Amino acid sequence: MTEAETLTHITAIVTRILDDKGLPAPAITPDTELLGGELKIDSLDLAMLVRELEDVIGHDPFAEGFIEFRTAGELAKLYAK
Amino acid sequence: MAGAFGIASSETAPLIAYLDRQITRGALAERGAALAALITAEGVSRLMVLSDDPLHILRAIDGAARAGADLFIAHTNLPEAEIESIKQQFAIQLIVGEADALTAISTEGQPPAGRIFMMTSGTTGAPKIAAHSLGALLSRAQAGASKASPGAKWLLTYQPTGFAGLQVQLTAAITGGVIVTPNERTPSGFLEAARTGGVTQISATPTFWRSFLMTMRPGDLALRQITLGGEAADQSTLDRVRKAFPDARVTHIYASTEAGVVFSVHDGLEGFPAAWLESAHQGAELRVRDGFLHIRTPNAMRNYVSDTPQPIQDDGWLATADRVEIRGERAYIVGRDDSTINVGGSKVYPLAIEQFLLQQPGVLEARVFGQPNPISGFLVAAEVVIEPSLDPAATRSAILAACREALASYQAPRVFKVVDAIAVRASGKKG
Repeated sequence: MTEAETLTHITAIVTRILDDKGLPAPAITPDTELLGGELKIDSLDLAMLVRELEDVIGHDPFAEGFIEFRTAGELAKLYAK
Repeated sequence: MAGAFGIASSETAPLIAYLDRQITRGALAERGAALAALITAEGVSRLMVLSDDPLHILRAIDGAARAGADLFIAHTNLPEAEIESIKQQFAIQLIVGEADALTAISTEGQPPAGRIFMMTSGTTGAPKIAAHSLGALLSRAQAGASKASPGAKWLLTYQPTGFAGLQVQLTAAITGGVIVTPNERTPSGFLEAARTGGVTQISATPTFWRSFLMTMRPGDLALRQITLGGEAADQSTLDRVRKAFPDARVTHIYASTEAGVVFSVHDGLEGFPAAWLESAHQGAELRVRDGFLHIRTPNAMRNYVSDTPQPIQDDGWLATADRVEIRGERAYIVGRDDSTINVGGSKVYPLAIEQFLLQQPGVLEARVFGQPNPISGFLVAAEVVIEPSLDPAATRSAILAACREALASYQAPRVFKVVDAIAVRASGKKG
């Protein structure tokens, strides 16, 4: 899976999480900071996102331990590998 | 009178800092004295504070202490019916919050004894309630504050009505510190408050730290003390915190609702020295029985007021549900065995969530369990069986909406599957 495809999944999942909360979803670019305040998601939402990406994409980049990421693009890269 | 925290000693010094204003120690003492006057004038024996604002929590503690009344500290996310039932059961006569309000309940039962009643989290089912003396809570805070210097600025990351949150507020109050309160309890909201307030100490869960490090940038904060608690601190999170704040002292603590902070570890390594199991350390005795950590400490609570299994053993030791493993000279907390799920430092009781799910229309069977997660330690996962005639997608949405409505965000299932059947193991337990 390419980074662009992974980013599409990230966008879809984040949009649904925000929609469930009744919040609008802004456009997500590779530079969007996931917990930077622009997206109204918290760390549990982020935990859910990571979990769902593993389901959709089929592997867990954190299996060997936590890896630093900040933006949607950085997270996409981890799954695209 | 100086009040519960000796706050009259430096009247103009700030005690609580919000993004746009501050409350001084003098102002809090005044509010506490005014509340005490109301309590006395109205003959109130028991009051309840129902707010996440440190101003109301601290003035309730101060006012109750001055007047010798009993104070209940309630979680603001409790369902209204639960709060009503606690009000009736304990004859609460005054509610403290944005606006203080007398209830129409008359004084009954025991005379007040200046106790503080705290609740375990429990959005579903009745919370467990434990009685503490203000003295014991303050000595717990004092014990945790040995290195805190006056002027220290503490970020309030924990739920303000819980034990860890109260500990931070009391520590700041009695050591000349400032409680820095965010407007919004999100990683970016916490960062904004920490930067604006010039925070020097942050006590938080490992889950909080993992998110917070994703949000902040090097140089944002000049922290002196970093504390990790509420979940076992793992080596990789300890290492990342240390790397982000090379000048801060990094401590991880073992604490429980029943015993407060039991021990603190400062060497930056996960686990604790196995030698602490041999002789009393930091005022607490530790032992391992059948693989579980037992504790004996002078500041432990007595027992729960509410009808619930009691954790204190006959020999005065407190049995925890934390499993301990000893490898070489180090002891490690390797998990819990009471089926509670630790979601980012908050305890979730799967049975209560299962019962909630089973009350939802169309749900025939439900299983709730913890699923390991790299961000939050665990997430609440649920599997439900629904009536075959129902549309799975619509039913799923309705159930999730009900969960968001009625449960705290850490309690709501984040992994949710509609399944055909839930296996029952030979033991009769859902597996």
